[in-house]
Amino acid sequence: MGNYILKRIMSIIPVFLLATLLTTGMVHLSSVDPAEAYLTAAHIQPTDEILAQKRHEFGLDQPFFIQYANSIMKICQLDFGISYVSNKPVWDEVIYRIPATIQLAIASILIAVFVSVPLGFLAGVKKGSAIDHFSRLLSFFGASIPSFWLGYILVFFFSVKLNLFPVEGIGTWQHLVLPSITLALPLIAMYTRLLRASVLENLQQPYVLFARTRGLKEKTIMTKHVLRIAISPMITGLGMNLGKLLTGTIIVESVFSWPGFGRYFIEAIFNRDIPVIQCYVLIAASLFILSNLIVDIVQIYIDPRISRKEGQHR
Amino acid sequence: MRILLTIENDYQHQVGGDTVMSKGKISLKIKLTFIFILILSTLLVGCSNANNEESTSKGNHDNMLTIAWPRDVGEMNPHVYNPSQLFAQSMVYEPLVSYQAGGKIKPNLAKSWEISEDGKVYTFHLREGVKFSDGTDFNAEIVKKNFDTILNNKELHSWLGFITKIAQTEVVDKNTFKLTLTEPYYPTIQELAVVRPVRFLGEAGFPKDGDTSKGIVKPVGTGPWILEKYKADEYAIYKRNENYWGEIPKVEKIKVKVIPDAETRVLAFEKGDLDMIYGEGVVSLDTFKQLKSTGKYETRVSEPIATRQLVMNTKTEQLSDERVRQALHYGFNKEALVKGVTSGLEEKADHILPTNLPYTKDVDVKLVKYNVEKAKALLDKAGWKLPKGKTVREKDGKLLEIDLMYDSAESIQKAMAETLQSEWAAIGVKLNIEGVELPDQVQRFKDNKFDINFYSNFGAPYDPHTFLNIVSSKGYGFNEAISAYPNKDELIKQMAKVPQTTDEKERQQLYSSILKSIQDQGAIIPISYMKKTAIYQKNVTNFNFPANRDENPFTGISIKQ
Repeated sequence: MGNYILKRIMSIIPVFLLATLLTTGMVHLSSVDPAEAYLTAAHIQPTDEILAQKRHEFGLDQPFFIQYANSIMKICQLDFGISYVSNKPVWDEVIYRIPATIQLAIASILIAVFVSVPLGFLAGVKKGSAIDHFSRLLSFFGASIPSFWLGYILVFFFSVKLNLFPVEGIGTWQHLVLPSITLALPLIAMYTRLLRASVLENLQQPYVLFARTRGLKEKTIMTKHVLRIAISPMITGLGMNLGKLLTGTIIVESVFSWPGFGRYFIEAIFNRDIPVIQCYVLIAASLFILSNLIVDIVQIYIDPRISRKEGQHR
Repeated sequence: MRILLTIENDYQHQVGGDTVMSKGKISLKIKLTFIFILILSTLLVGCSNANNEESTSKGNHDNMLTIAWPRDVGEMNPHVYNPSQLFAQSMVYEPLVSYQAGGKIKPNLAKSWEISEDGKVYTFHLREGVKFSDGTDFNAEIVKKNFDTILNNKELHSWLGFITKIAQTEVVDKNTFKLTLTEPYYPTIQELAVVRPVRFLGEAGFPKDGDTSKGIVKPVGTGPWILEKYKADEYAIYKRNENYWGEIPKVEKIKVKVIPDAETRVLAFEKGDLDMIYGEGVVSLDTFKQLKSTGKYETRVSEPIATRQLVMNTKTEQLSDERVRQALHYGFNKEALVKGVTSGLEEKADHILPTNLPYTKDVDVKLVKYNVEKAKALLDKAGWKLPKGKTVREKDGKLLEIDLMYDSAESIQKAMAETLQSEWAAIGVKLNIEGVELPDQVQRFKDNKFDINFYSNFGAPYDPHTFLNIVSSKGYGFNEAISAYPNKDELIKQMAKVPQTTDEKERQQLYSSILKSIQDQGAIIPISYMKKTAIYQKNVTNFNFPANRDENPFTGISIKQ
């Protein structure tokens, strides 16, 4: 297993290289000169001298592959350059904003898990019941509604009309409720369906019949056997979504004025703040890989059959 | 709290009482129920908390004005640009002179000034007894120190004409400061009223090496407001400066909440979390209309701040002909367009610069009134004929096809472009509209890769001289765009002369003839006067829009208790 994890960690390297290549290349593909973008962002009228000076400062007057090598060297030291807009190191700016985004992401994962596990499980076990229909309705709703719209609807009812939660901002846990529900609903929709399908599939498995013939209580079979195995695809889905969750926060953070990383990224795109965009893309790529790795490990822990298979291969 | 205790007791009771069931089963079932109840109860407790917080915070709202702003206010350094926000900088830092309605320049930190005969030496008599917010004196020494750090980064500020022309800064005595220029430049006084970079930071704010372009130690200014609390990306709170030399603000505090999303700003306002939404484009037109129609709030629209223009590239074959340009101007109903698209938030414009700017009042331009027949006749005369059975005019087998570029993020530009497309189709012109991102729009304008583009001037206190500078200098797009003007060289020579004039009459004459000539030849079509908007709760009074486009409106404002 150690070997396997090591292999997975090593696989981050080519992805990382590719991501840097893309982000460095992006600068060249864009029709706008970064030096000019910088000056526009700073509201400075660009003259030829300032442009030349800025291009030199950003290393844009060097050949592409030297720029690429330089950026890799720097990123290895967590130096993502200086933000064009704020003139501060990008990494400092990102680190300042990441905790808020993580807080939001964790809250929405918790909500998603606490709602979709019981709901998906019951919908599977009691197929065709009212709870199954309800879960289907919720899933359709959650999967199809755009999150910014959902955000506005929630704010309108729960803040403006009912005055239960603040409209926007960060601070108390009340501030966390609406944005994390907004972010969690699409996840709930997906996980509920995933778990339901998986439960139904597992109910057909011979081990269930075997357990019944052994005279085990139905409840024991369901909770100790079926749920434990059926939850596996949901965990894969969860892992794949950690990265998506990060990008999902972009919209939700803007709607709820949540001072996180996603909102910072939006502003960076608008200002063509290229170092920040590069940093975001790299972090998002790393997160995708990392979350998949974590999921693999968790899955081995939950379903011992996987590690046994690994053992057989060895 | 009581709910939680009961649950815990319940939990112990159940665990203690039921020994027959296997341990694993109990814990799973009970754990789930427990967590569920826990979440539910905390939710309920939380709701009552939210209400409590709301009611207590309302109490604190006494005499504090809360507004929303789309972006963080920035580091409050008077000598830098983005991401620092102009209105916030103007709350803490002050200029030597201030720009007032109609372009009048009034004393501010300088109580008076003299300009030498040759227009090169400016002597400022500073107001006495002015203190920075940390109690130190405002005097000629600190004025010079600020000027010198700004001049150390001349290239950063070269867009502001007078900065590049400063030869010397000099302390004459404690309260007299002298500025010597390399050549006469009349807009100096007007440019001293801009929000950045020529405003004054107290000694304690300067970093050790004296270079403020890399950051300041703390925001120490002479202005009516002092930054009290700041949380990046969340909010900034300003308290009034009780020792302010001028009129002390009526509200005690201003809270600026950072809310990037326009709809969220409106929701927060409707809930009562905000007292005011103010600025340019901070709410959509529809929202403004809707909030106005409820009658529950005060809505205000400012005087014109800039002119929304169409700029034609006369280097293109079709638009090099003045008759085609005029035909396009005659060929759309401007009044209906502006009214329809902006619902009256903007006003039909007859001049390429708003007439509340200095020297722009009496420009005698040829007024163009909507006249489809005249437009058609002009196109016919220019050789663009409409073949039978076709809808687009042709000349030598070429279609009369023109591209219009607009900022895709700007709904007004988009709607106007669409309207023009259908209006001009009626006179046989095929208009292709293309939405691009703002940086691309700026770039293509500079590179002259456009037929027609949207533009708007800077407004007060930058214009009219900055507009002339942009039109006459190469590289901004205008200079090249008016290439087909037969008198282009003469115009550019005149424009270069304007800032150097020392005689008021001559200056006015030059402005009048230049602006008339540019407009009458039709490469720049004025569309509408853009305006600022403000929406505020009924208990907010004495709100006035500042004459300087970038200034804050907070000094006179008050809240009825």
